[in-house]
Amino acid sequence: MAETILSKRPKKEQKIDPEIGVGLSWKTIKNQKQLILMSFPIVIYILIFNYVPIWGWLMAFQNYRPALKFSKQQWVGLKHFKFLFQDDTFLTVLRNTLAMSMINLVLSFATAIILALLLNEIKVRFWKRSIQTISYLPHFLSWIIAAGIVATSLSVDDGIVNQLLMKMHIITEPIMWLSEGKYFWGIVGLSNVWKEVGWNTIIYLAAITSIDPSLYESAGIDGANRYQKILYVTLPGIKSTFIILLIMNIGHILDAGFEIQYLLGNGLIVDWSQTIDIFVLKYGIAQGNYSLATAAGIFKTVVSIILILIANSTAKRLGEERLI
Amino acid sequence: MVKKIKRPVLAALVPVLALGLTLTGCTDSKDAASSTSSPSDSQASPAATKNDVIKPVALSVFIGGPGQQPTPDNKIYKMIKDKTGVSLKMEFLVGDLQQKMGVMIAGGDYADIMSGDDKLIAAGAFIPLEDLIEKYAPNLKKHYASVWNQIKDPASGHLYAMPAYGVYSGQVNDTAYGGPGFYLQKDVLKEMGYPTPKTLDEYFDIIAKYKAKHPDMIGFETLSFDWRKFPLLNPPEHLAGYPNDGGVIVDNGKAQIFADKDIAKTYYKKLNEINAQGLMDKEALVQNYDQYLAKIASGRVIGMFDQQWNFNDGELSLKSQGKFGSTYVGFPLLYPGATEHYRDRPVVNINRGFGISTKAKDPVQIIKFLDALMTEDWQKTLQWGIQGEDYEVKDGKFYRTPEQRAKADDNTWKLANKADAFLGGLPKMQGSYSDGNATDAGSQPQEFFESLKPQDQEVLKAYNHKTWAEFFKSPVENPIYYPAWSIDLVDGSPAKVANQKMEDLAVKYLPKAIMVKPDEFEGVWKEYVDQISKSNFKAIEDRINEQINWRIKNWSSK
Repeated sequence: MAETILSKRPKKEQKIDPEIGVGLSWKTIKNQKQLILMSFPIVIYILIFNYVPIWGWLMAFQNYRPALKFSKQQWVGLKHFKFLFQDDTFLTVLRNTLAMSMINLVLSFATAIILALLLNEIKVRFWKRSIQTISYLPHFLSWIIAAGIVATSLSVDDGIVNQLLMKMHIITEPIMWLSEGKYFWGIVGLSNVWKEVGWNTIIYLAAITSIDPSLYESAGIDGANRYQKILYVTLPGIKSTFIILLIMNIGHILDAGFEIQYLLGNGLIVDWSQTIDIFVLKYGIAQGNYSLATAAGIFKTVVSIILILIANSTAKRLGEERLI
Repeated sequence: MVKKIKRPVLAALVPVLALGLTLTGCTDSKDAASSTSSPSDSQASPAATKNDVIKPVALSVFIGGPGQQPTPDNKIYKMIKDKTGVSLKMEFLVGDLQQKMGVMIAGGDYADIMSGDDKLIAAGAFIPLEDLIEKYAPNLKKHYASVWNQIKDPASGHLYAMPAYGVYSGQVNDTAYGGPGFYLQKDVLKEMGYPTPKTLDEYFDIIAKYKAKHPDMIGFETLSFDWRKFPLLNPPEHLAGYPNDGGVIVDNGKAQIFADKDIAKTYYKKLNEINAQGLMDKEALVQNYDQYLAKIASGRVIGMFDQQWNFNDGELSLKSQGKFGSTYVGFPLLYPGATEHYRDRPVVNINRGFGISTKAKDPVQIIKFLDALMTEDWQKTLQWGIQGEDYEVKDGKFYRTPEQRAKADDNTWKLANKADAFLGGLPKMQGSYSDGNATDAGSQPQEFFESLKPQDQEVLKAYNHKTWAEFFKSPVENPIYYPAWSIDLVDGSPAKVANQKMEDLAVKYLPKAIMVKPDEFEGVWKEYVDQISKSNFKAIEDRINEQINWRIKNWSSK
């Protein structure tokens, strides 16, 4: 991010330091030689790992074959992009990706903030610690294990979810959760919440800790009750954290995930479960068609950049914290 | 801090940096090129061959799988050393094979004899063996004569790895059965009076009757998860009397897909009916492989279509729980009028088995050594053991006493008395020896029967069989092109894309067709067939037919 912070800084904010002046001169370089030296490693790092790989994007315009030299590759123009956008399946997977992403985004933000607020209200250290630990432990499971747990819980045979619903007389016979497309997005959303909520909460808890206690005191003096304190002190206190995280996450909107959809998906619900990443795996990498995979990658990147810029400028217009 | 560097300064730095990077990049690559080229030059010098007799030598052997070192005084290795002068230094795989091979290739660090693998072959780690075998190894030449062209690496036309399995002589005795079939639990068979179902109707009738008595049991089970779609997709070809060719059936060397044909429709319509009757596991088509195995391991599944090796883990768990009655027996169900072709002869696996590496000092001696082990005497010693110690002979028939059987199951004993690890990759006789005995104890029918648990023997006796394989017809010789499923559709080709499409369609529509109400079946089936006709399935058929013809032309040995 470092280079974007430097280069994208809006014009009006560029205050000219009278002592150093604008423009390149030996004097400036001399003046700032420590700074320049210090920035070397980072700039080199970013060039190597974030810019050099962009070279690989050329693959998207070729029929790339791994063993051949660059000069021997066959150029095909926009063929792979055309394949993507003309394929019916791609439009479905795009819809699924966006839908599941949005669900995940909203659910994970809402639950993390709510859990953080609730935890903050717990005064007994032991309970607070225990709840936090229990809620963030699933984060450390790999998706393959987590998906196994989810699939077993949802099983018709003796899955805990069906058992529970039966015992509570909400349903009369077990539901096959994984055979109906309409349930799938919800299952993915809830699984995500179960796995990540504790982890996502940590950052909000940290933000809450940094709120000046005197604000609570003065709110108390003004007659605010517990809920009003949450509403008027805590929430505004974590707003900037929230916005920054939101902007960052919006960039990942086309990464709805891969593992859980792949591991829980099956033929019956493929029209709801397949995401861009699974599509790329099936028709790109698994077929040795790396060009198609690259084309899909470029598409995702471009969409992400656009979304980030939009979110950022919106935040700016609203006078909020922003990333760039 | 960062804020203070002004843009122009940075702009000036970037090209400087870029230039610097490019320069270092260039020098690096030059260095790398020159340093890698020098060792490969020295490697290229041909290994010298000296004289004809086998002289005492230590050979290193790399086994591409995990294993345990044999004890230093191992009976068989000692015998090999005494009689051939060759002592073997075994190296087993530790960790990940791909990674290990990567390291070996990068360092050119090869053992004299190594298990073959595509990656090693592609890296040029092996020497071609055709001429060596022609000149020095008459036994090997004879052994591989029938598959000579087939075992050559298709890319280079050379023979790099000598397949360890799949070359048969004499009568082929299958005992255990690992292939496809409609399986039923042994307890079910026992309770139903040991019936022999021959058609789908008879099979599902047994399941229906048993489930009526034991409502807790799960009826029919199948699987369509990740690449394990064959339990769902393959039954039609077997029912119609074709061997396992994957997604196509082959008539007179001409392949066509069968997904949209009547043989498929009949089967899935039947599944639709039994699903409506509640005889099918409701979850069968949404569960993953682990859930499937768990169900089998619970002993509650009455029957399924699968290949035995695919649910073997579930059976192993049943055996370890002592539930031998919950394991399975397969039956070859057929459509009326079809001829059975469930069992097939295993196919030669061309890229597995030992090859001689470019690092071997004296390939001639190695090939002579391997050739010596290819005689019947050595094969008997390696596969059965030593007569009087590991097996007995009565009226010319090999058998083992109960004590010998118990020892043969004991891993510690094996490390001191068998050369299993080496034998695994060695060219070996399969089928039977010239005296009619099976090549190893596990495939001698009587011996196999004696080694079974009483519960299993009871089932076999009831059917008047000695082995599980006898439930299926003895396999005929494989057609030269067989199997069509191993044909490479070529990455990125229209055939491969079409194949993926077909699979996607199958896992989408077949479960739907099975699970809808019976009167909606026709509608779903029509939609499925329509989608298939819209797909580019011709590309798959063309590619497979082209390859079948190529195999017939190039693999036939005179």
